[in-house]
Amino acid sequence: MTALRLAGTFLRIGILNELQYRVNLVFSLVQSAIAVGTSLAVLALVFGNTDSLRGWSAGELLVVMGVHVLVGGLIRSVIQPNMQQLMEDIQRGTLDFVLTKPADGQLLVSVRRVQIWQAVDILVGAALVVVAVVRLPATPGVLDVLAFAAALALGAVSIYCFWLLLTTLAFWVTRLDPLVELFEGMYQAGRWPVSVYPGWLRIGFTVLVPLAFAVTVPASALTGRSTGWLLLGSVAFTVALATVTRLAWRHALRRYSGASA
Amino acid sequence: MDIEVDGLRKTFRVPRREAGLRASLRSLVRRTTTEVVAVDAVSFSVEPGEVVGFLGPNGAGKTTTLKMLSGLLFPGSGTVRVLGHVPSRREHDFLRRITLVMGNRNQLQWDLPALDSYEMNRAIYRIPAPDFRRVRDELVELLDLGDQVRKPVRQLSLGERMKAEIVGALLHSPQVLFLDEPTIGLDVTMQKRIRAFLAEYNSRHGATVLLTSHYMADVQALCKRVVVIDAGRILYDGSLRTLSARYSQRQTITATVADRAGLAGLGELVSVDGDRVTLRVDKERSAAVVAALLGHGVTDLTIEDPPVEDVIEQVFAS
Repeated sequence: MTALRLAGTFLRIGILNELQYRVNLVFSLVQSAIAVGTSLAVLALVFGNTDSLRGWSAGELLVVMGVHVLVGGLIRSVIQPNMQQLMEDIQRGTLDFVLTKPADGQLLVSVRRVQIWQAVDILVGAALVVVAVVRLPATPGVLDVLAFAAALALGAVSIYCFWLLLTTLAFWVTRLDPLVELFEGMYQAGRWPVSVYPGWLRIGFTVLVPLAFAVTVPASALTGRSTGWLLLGSVAFTVALATVTRLAWRHALRRYSGASA
Repeated sequence: MDIEVDGLRKTFRVPRREAGLRASLRSLVRRTTTEVVAVDAVSFSVEPGEVVGFLGPNGAGKTTTLKMLSGLLFPGSGTVRVLGHVPSRREHDFLRRITLVMGNRNQLQWDLPALDSYEMNRAIYRIPAPDFRRVRDELVELLDLGDQVRKPVRQLSLGERMKAEIVGALLHSPQVLFLDEPTIGLDVTMQKRIRAFLAEYNSRHGATVLLTSHYMADVQALCKRVVVIDAGRILYDGSLRTLSARYSQRQTITATVADRAGLAGLGELVSVDGDRVTLRVDKERSAAVVAALLGHGVTDLTIEDPPVEDVIEQVFAS
């Protein structure tokens, strides 16, 4: 409860401040338009040659794309800014100020920053999903929508954990920027359902970079694919990843304070 | 006792390699490390409300000690207790009662006005709204910050930023203040301002302060007691006055004399400016020198201990 209130206060302050910089909205809109435009063009190109891609129709792939844009917006507005700041804090030694605060360190480093204009992508993604779903031959039922929401929430947590794990490496490695770029490149692969990729890549996108759980599983729920087991898998995976992340964070802090040396 | 430190020791392992390509390649395969002792057998204690200056050259172990006291570093061996807590456990009850200010690092969010960072601290420390407003306004007024707290921190000058930092660090009315070089890089006026504030804050709230600084003026103005540390070991722990007495064997005598003949034989002649002469003499001889000077037609005479800087230099040299 206190954690939620703390997160709420931080996000509110961050948002209020960001609202001053309206130019950023224009940038975000342009960025979003280019990204969506490119994706649509690629989609059109692919479906100019075929009617289905490994069992996914054009309309269904549009759902995947929408979820991909939505989750991308979430990453860029909340997750990435905080992780970037954490990286800087580790390098500059200002993490000391976080660690001398009477609050959970992991919580603090995860809610300090928000780039609200990047959240435009969350809206654009959601709109894409709605448009795509309405045009599907079979409209999803209430249960499907609930499954979608649950899968999306779990996927978001997985992606957050993955990022934090990646950032935790900054305690050992000084320059992480290449890793961040690598992740962004890999995230682009999530605009297609993971099932279109060959086996080894599919496993990588599922377990290593949780693209499957963040994008494909939620999209599956809306496109009439059986999601019961997938959802269970997503719960198990998210819980496991969150646990590993928590342990890694603790371990990193112990190292930071010279306890494990 | 607010702070109790006993037999504190901390070592770091640092990678070591020789210069040159071959050595670099070899260190890729086998890394050799050396153990560096940052703090060694440090013991001291601080009473509630005391202001203690922590002195020492760069790399003496001041910051390492401060970090162990504030729970950021695990002690290698020895015990630390601050307000009855073991700092390295970082219990929230402990963290709520201390604060850490580092002159060369910022805790306020760069792009936000300080006021917003204060609001964040209020949420973290769960300070009740009326208390928060009262303490914040008092601090902002004492430090003469005015509307500066409404500007994004990045637009503030170094001095204003430091003042804003201090406000942020004191909002939760901590009992123990760890100040690591709080005046570093500031101009003399700003240093004075912050010094005056710290003195005022200490007398108003009776907070315990452990301060490290390179500026002797900070220490002279604020601390009755100093702990001098060098190469991880405590060289001196006691009052600033005793420190001068113990480590400076010389005094400076300045006199206005009518007859300047034969003065050089009395001591080291530092300067002669018209009829004003300055002599440096061994302490035990100063009475004799003054007596001798009286025979030269003295009209004005002062005896001074050397500046603290020189004393500290003496301490490190010995």
